[in-house]
Amino acid sequence: MRFVARQPQEGVNVSKTHPLVEAGTLVAGLTLIFVVIALSLIYLVEIALYFISPEDEAGLFRNWMPEDLVTVAPDDEKLYQTQLLLDRLAAHWPDAPYTFRVEIDDSEVANAMALPGGLVIVTQGLLDEVKSENELAFVLGHELGHFKNRDHLRTLGRGIVLSMFFAVVTGNDVGGIGIKVADVTLRSFSRRQETRADEFGLAVVNSEYGHVNEAWRLFERWEDKDRSPTGLITYFSTHPDTGDRIADMRHQAEMHGWRTDGDVTPLAW
Amino acid sequence: MDTNIEQLNLFVNIGLPILILMIAYFIGSHMEKKHFRSIREREAKLQGFPVVSFDTMPDEWRVSSSHMVTGSIVISLDYFKRVIAGLRGLIGGRVKTYEPLLDRARREAVLRMAEAARKQGYDAVFNVRLETSRIANARRDGKGVAGVEMLAFGTAVKFASRFANSG
Repeated sequence: MRFVARQPQEGVNVSKTHPLVEAGTLVAGLTLIFVVIALSLIYLVEIALYFISPEDEAGLFRNWMPEDLVTVAPDDEKLYQTQLLLDRLAAHWPDAPYTFRVEIDDSEVANAMALPGGLVIVTQGLLDEVKSENELAFVLGHELGHFKNRDHLRTLGRGIVLSMFFAVVTGNDVGGIGIKVADVTLRSFSRRQETRADEFGLAVVNSEYGHVNEAWRLFERWEDKDRSPTGLITYFSTHPDTGDRIADMRHQAEMHGWRTDGDVTPLAW
Repeated sequence: MDTNIEQLNLFVNIGLPILILMIAYFIGSHMEKKHFRSIREREAKLQGFPVVSFDTMPDEWRVSSSHMVTGSIVISLDYFKRVIAGLRGLIGGRVKTYEPLLDRARREAVLRMAEAARKQGYDAVFNVRLETSRIANARRDGKGVAGVEMLAFGTAVKFASRFANSG
């Protein structure tokens, strides 16, 4: 046998695909798959809502709180007064299945959230921003509107779906997912959900005070500030354009014949 | 303040990994090209030096001495390859980014072995075998892989009279 020296064959063991092409294909394909999965899960959340009655939800989440909530002292004056105000407003929704609870999140960013089981979270930043009880009442009424329309569960469901998605993608432990304030803050409601919640909030405020004067004054002040770069950006990013909202609310007040003048109640603290 | 922190967060969580990914890709592919170039050059130089996998010597070989020779290389993944392979791991299939890496490792190991044999004055290597083993990552309780060792070994032989009896 004759030994014939040959160069090893080049490249049979190496795919010809350029690594960037491989990366692009994988990223695009997997993104597509995950988007489809996420959308189907979101659709499932919608279906699940029909099977979870508000009573069940209230029972499940009776004493529940997000893990990362930085609460204020239980004897805080603002907490007490906000709870009283919320109770008064909730009285205008007599068949509400929830016992509404207020918690104050010790954050400078003005925001309010509706969480399962009738938990309303307002931030310290929001309480510092409101100038009258009517303003605060509208914010609380707006959150009541989210409960009424069950937006809070819908959004939470979506949020959990997205958190799971990110946990899988980044390789984190899926079991470690809890509902956190930080997550909820980043979840936005749709324009339609906000408008319906605004309408409910205005109706509640109107029933309580007999007018909707100053209800959206807070938003007007924010708009006047012309999206000042501090803090509020977070709020704007999760809520529809403030100018549009104010216009919508004016329109709603006009439509329902709610008075836009009347005595403004000062804050209780 | 809050927005600055958020932007910083965003950068650390998304921007930084992408930046590292890009740097890893450019450095990694540059080094890979360089390595393949060197492999090809050295393979060309070793042309005519028999490296074969027969487990018994051809009858014609008249050998005066023999010795075991080894060539070994430990090769590691770059971050880019690791991430792409991770994505591939979700759906399965050919992990294409690993293929050039292992090709390099095999050829480099065989080259080192053959070069060692030639340097020591041997004329051929037969019964060449390849072995791989994982080098565990010390940081993650040995769960991760720090690299792969590719070991080539064989029996180097010195011909009594160089190719005297070939053919």
